[in-house]
Amino acid sequence: MSSWVEKRSAVVAETTRSVELVDCDVHAQATEAMLAGYLSSQARRMLERYGRRTPRVTEWYPRARHAGMRVDAWPGKPGHIWGSDPELTREQLLDEFDVDYAVLEVLSGQDCYDHPDFAAEWNAAVNDWQLDEWLSFDPRFRGTIAVPHEYPDLAVEEIERRAADERFVAVLMPASAADQLGSPKYWPIYEAATAFGRPVAFHTGGYVDHRGAGYPSFYLDYHVGNGIVMQSQLANMVAGGMFDAIPGLRVVLTECGVAWAAALRWSLDAAWELMREDHPRLERKPSEYIDEHVWFTTQPIEEPEHPQHLVYAISQARLESRLLFATDYPHWDFDSPKQALPRALGPELRRAIMCENALALYGLPRERTR
Amino acid sequence: MDAIDCDVHVAPASYDALFPYLSEYWRQYITEAGIRLNGVAHAYPRGVAPAAPSSYDELASGVLDRAPAPRAVVLNCVTGFETHRNPYFAAAVASALNDWMLSEFLARDERLRASLIVSTVSTDDAVSEIERVGEDPRFVQVLLPVRTDLPWGHKSNHAMFAAAGSAGLQVGLHAWGRAGKAATPSGFTTTYLEDYLGNQPIAQAQVLSFVSEGVFERFPDLRVIVSECGFAWLAPLLWRFDKDWKGVWREVPWVKRRPSEYVREHFRFTTAPAHLPAEPAALDQLLEMLDGPDQLVYSSDYPHVHGDGLPALLDRLSGEQRRDVLWATAATLYRLDERA
Repeated sequence: MSSWVEKRSAVVAETTRSVELVDCDVHAQATEAMLAGYLSSQARRMLERYGRRTPRVTEWYPRARHAGMRVDAWPGKPGHIWGSDPELTREQLLDEFDVDYAVLEVLSGQDCYDHPDFAAEWNAAVNDWQLDEWLSFDPRFRGTIAVPHEYPDLAVEEIERRAADERFVAVLMPASAADQLGSPKYWPIYEAATAFGRPVAFHTGGYVDHRGAGYPSFYLDYHVGNGIVMQSQLANMVAGGMFDAIPGLRVVLTECGVAWAAALRWSLDAAWELMREDHPRLERKPSEYIDEHVWFTTQPIEEPEHPQHLVYAISQARLESRLLFATDYPHWDFDSPKQALPRALGPELRRAIMCENALALYGLPRERTR
Repeated sequence: MDAIDCDVHVAPASYDALFPYLSEYWRQYITEAGIRLNGVAHAYPRGVAPAAPSSYDELASGVLDRAPAPRAVVLNCVTGFETHRNPYFAAAVASALNDWMLSEFLARDERLRASLIVSTVSTDDAVSEIERVGEDPRFVQVLLPVRTDLPWGHKSNHAMFAAAGSAGLQVGLHAWGRAGKAATPSGFTTTYLEDYLGNQPIAQAQVLSFVSEGVFERFPDLRVIVSECGFAWLAPLLWRFDKDWKGVWREVPWVKRRPSEYVREHFRFTTAPAHLPAEPAALDQLLEMLDGPDQLVYSSDYPHVHGDGLPALLDRLSGEQRRDVLWATAATLYRLDERA
């Protein structure tokens, strides 16, 4: 008969597991009522009287079926919407696919152009709700710090408030804002994130009004266009000198595709050769800054007819150590961990994408308790 | 180069050159308001780009008389991409530019073809201009800027495509144009480098628009030639476009085939700028991803400079492919077979 100590260590062995799958883009979505409980009476009054004053992107570009969500993503609970119920996300994502860590990106504050006081409270509420309902609910959930990005001083305060909690693994920014994201206006946010050892995750969406080609008519163009917006942002980040100014900065371009990166590197390097004297602050080729500072999440990963072409695109852009797997649960274009990555990528690269790159970037423990 | 050059720039040196083709009202308007050709100056600052030829003699010494002589040249005058939004002025300037190109260039050399300038702020006026001079076979395409208030595929532009089709014209979609609230899809730029590269993502958004709005279902003979916006970005864009369409096709039921099929059939891209990888193996991969160079047509983009990517690309092509890129594809596109 085994001793109590032996029994106990057997239990410990059973309850730890080597991490194999990190999902770097999962959406928890609060209803306004859920966040209202965290607001001051003044902010709640503003919300009750005037509502959210920034139009949602879904009002610009309605999603024709199931509001753009997985059909099975609505919890059968009163007061809940898709993405608002951690139990359902645990069942449909964490348990079904054996996800070891799921990085939450709560987009409720991404398009907040309200008064600074309200914007600060609103984003703080997003983080409180994330903490109470999700990070405390299951240790596999990891958070990102929502910030009132148009008011960088307030954003920095919010980062400082959350930074001690290591469950928040990144600072969340939109992929489009009032100014270009490489603008010095936003650098204090990036500096604070870097000082606290957090990458900055730029998630597709945000400000809709910048339109080099005008407003498209359809969600199809808008959604494919998210990759186009990110190309323009990355060019601005590099040309604006932010990677020189903040040497330790790590950015994660989220939900914008990956395969366009090679062509952008070539064009940036070519243009820099033509005009390098006009950019004295850029001491190195643009592609070198991208190599050093930029990560990409996979979903919605491009699907060429010949999977080998995706391998080409990844190697041309040197993304082998920079790709982070993501499902984008519960959105309609969910990429399944079992099916999304083509076998052409090979087992080593797949393992890097599914977990190794994320473990290294976010400093997550390699073993976790079940 | 023994080629059909699909993008050579000409531009009047100032509005004075257009005065013979403008009414007294517009001559006064220009003079009293002190209007200059600022749009071109923003796109091609003098310190970066030499001025485009403003006369036949300048064009001859810069392009036409150089050996080996080009088989044919398509002239683009982007002077019409001005910042002002007065639709009446835009229509008058478009007509004056076309008349200026006819007498200054097209009447003087059989090898010359040109893009037809139209108002880019009024579809009615664009249609009128196409009806006025578009039947002239020396005009081969309608010139449109990539930067717009509304993407070109939008239904409000379809009457223009119908008129272009009736006149036997294609569409030439060219870099630059009138900036809206911001010139890029991410906001205001702070450097010329961003403006310059911004043409490439903006062109991508236009490619999406032509397909998603069903332009090629309505106008199956229409071809769109994208100039000075690069092409290395095309394959990844189409992979994403096809993937999204599979999910949300119900929103655009008139898109009957995979988006990439329309793009391969209907779009061509000029070879300048050729911002390409340095390694030959990566170039070969790129050509494979593009399904070969069938969509590429040669342009020098004279007098603009984009680096020296093209020779490396041509080196990776077979003799037949090189011939196609340099002139055969363009000859078919612009119906120049008999001349070439």
